[in-house]
Amino acid sequence: MHPYGGWMLQGIFTTIHLSGIGWIIALILGVVVGTSRVFPLAFLRFLGTAYVEVFRNIPLLVQLFIWYFAVPLMLPPSARLWIYENVPNVEYMAALAALSIYTSARVGEQIRSGLQSISKEQYQAALSTGLSQIQMYRYVVIPYAARIIIPPLTGEFIGIFKNSSLALTIAVSEVTFMTQRIDSYTFHGLEAVMGASGVYIIICLTIMFFMGFMESRVSVPGLIKR
Amino acid sequence: MDWDVILRNLPFLLMGLQTTFKLAIVAVAGAFPLGILLGLCRLSSKWWLYYPASAYVHLIRSVPLILVIFWFFFLMPIITGRPVGSFTSAAIAFIIFEAAYFAEIVRAGIQSISKGQVMAGLSTGLSYISTMRHIVLPQAIRNMIPVLVTQVIVLFQDTSLAYVIGVREFLRWTSLVDAREFRSIELYATAAVVYFIICFVGSTITRRLEKKGGRLR
Amino acid sequence: MIDINNVNKWYGKLQVLHNVTEKIERGQTVVICGPSGSGKSTLLRCINGLEYFQQGEIIVDGVSVQSRSTNIYKLRADIGMVFQHFELYPHMTCLDNITLAPRKVRKKLEEEARTLAMSLLERVGIPEQAHKYPGELSGGQKQRVAIARALAMEPKIMLFDEPTSALDPEMIKEVLDVMIDLTKGGITMIVVTHEMGFAREVADEIIFMDEGRIIERGTDESFFRNPKSERTKQFLSKILM
Repeated sequence: MHPYGGWMLQGIFTTIHLSGIGWIIALILGVVVGTSRVFPLAFLRFLGTAYVEVFRNIPLLVQLFIWYFAVPLMLPPSARLWIYENVPNVEYMAALAALSIYTSARVGEQIRSGLQSISKEQYQAALSTGLSQIQMYRYVVIPYAARIIIPPLTGEFIGIFKNSSLALTIAVSEVTFMTQRIDSYTFHGLEAVMGASGVYIIICLTIMFFMGFMESRVSVPGLIKR
Repeated sequence: MDWDVILRNLPFLLMGLQTTFKLAIVAVAGAFPLGILLGLCRLSSKWWLYYPASAYVHLIRSVPLILVIFWFFFLMPIITGRPVGSFTSAAIAFIIFEAAYFAEIVRAGIQSISKGQVMAGLSTGLSYISTMRHIVLPQAIRNMIPVLVTQVIVLFQDTSLAYVIGVREFLRWTSLVDAREFRSIELYATAAVVYFIICFVGSTITRRLEKKGGRLR
Repeated sequence: MIDINNVNKWYGKLQVLHNVTEKIERGQTVVICGPSGSGKSTLLRCINGLEYFQQGEIIVDGVSVQSRSTNIYKLRADIGMVFQHFELYPHMTCLDNITLAPRKVRKKLEEEARTLAMSLLERVGIPEQAHKYPGELSGGQKQRVAIARALAMEPKIMLFDEPTSALDPEMIKEVLDVMIDLTKGGITMIVVTHEMGFAREVADEIIFMDEGRIIERGTDESFFRNPKSERTKQFLSKILM
């Protein structure tokens, strides 16, 4: 089993931190994009919408290739050289960039949807009792929106986790890549692939279970129609 | 920047696009009926339909598409005892994978029809199957169409993953040309634009459908 | 005609019907009234097998509703039901709503079913709406189509589950008029409603239910003039003003 077990573990580790960091970046960008789409300023709304539409309608694999193959060529030669010499793991960076931006577009969409599902009347009701804008957001809008957004957001987290597998195409040694490496050494590709599947299944089911538990803890009866 | 590279290699790129469409159509043709079947099983009260279907759906949805593609890449020759082309393996993988997603859409669509409609049908003496066929399904499908079209667009994007087992679809051709011509920016930008246009048009159609369809009252 | 014997029903831990017993004769019009949650609608749905009850027995025209040997579909075909929220099929015209079951269950021919449907639409007063979709009709019209749809199966019993509760006040009368007309035809009717005027006029018997129990029953005058139980008096005082 050794060293193949070790490879798999390495792969799993890479998968986890690639997805994790990507998710954090995606969340931050996503919140920015999502809120910009509901801002009163039409120009911001347009930017947000353009961002979401562009990064949602181009397949992730294509975006990945663009980051890895095309973007370096777009930089001035000096910058390109600097990157290749100083940045240790260019493939990883490209994968991270592609994953986070793709996911941030989807997250932005979910956030927009959640914010928009709160009716104007709710805002008005809150303001009419004398709350300031900030208080309204803090005590009324965000708790409500969060409960609506969290389930689909969980879906996106599972999504980025699964999508990290695409990084294998540019030789990022995450878990699916490892299955191919094991296959080329041992021709036991099927077993390796099954092993990797098991890893994904366990992690995804765990996340879903955990989120289900969280949801029931914070849920408000009758709020969300299931 | 040399945009001519696109024109020079247009035949190859178009061939790739054709394969992409073929793969997508085959996948939808197989995955949609399978998805409906699975969705209905998920709504069934018979445990021998419900549990297998649910296990299938949850399992497939926990695994990345690339892995499913690899499964079938390795499995197909074992199952059929003969070498299987990459297009076929990919097609089967897509059908099995996307069916799980269609199944959830179908299930949610049918569940969204109020119980009152079912009761109304049953109260006139119609059998459960008749009620499903004439009353619930027509309404459910009408409501599901926007979500279904969105899933088809996702499927179209997913075809690019067939790249990993060498299927000569659009992305693969783009990268093959790139390997020869080294014009990565022009080539991948074009690929991006092509996918974007197709998917954006698709999602605009979906939005129109949503507005027009509305919920039947 | 309908024998309800000691029916007990639970939703999980909550008991919604307690030892409900009642006998309804052929041709009678029975009104069931009571506060929300008293189990009236649930009882109605137990009669045509749309809801399941854990204990007791309901026998309709000699057939036990929950017996294994009973063909529940045949039983339902002989019982018509009208719902509070109409539940017309929105994707079919009024005519198709009415002809669906006769065609599929009684295997009537298209022609025959249509003629029947049109005559029923005339009976409820809206033949001109035949080719319209439910979405184009007012509430009162929808409910009348729903009544026609239930009558299309030529049932022996008609069950009404708060037929006017979802209607604007102006439309209640048109539906009640149709129902009053039906009572004259000799069909057995059970109506769950708050419309006491209707009850007074046509009911042979009025039953008051609360918290899953039958509290009181009586013929119209005795019920309204001399309610025996405190609870009934309380209820009547609130809704009769």
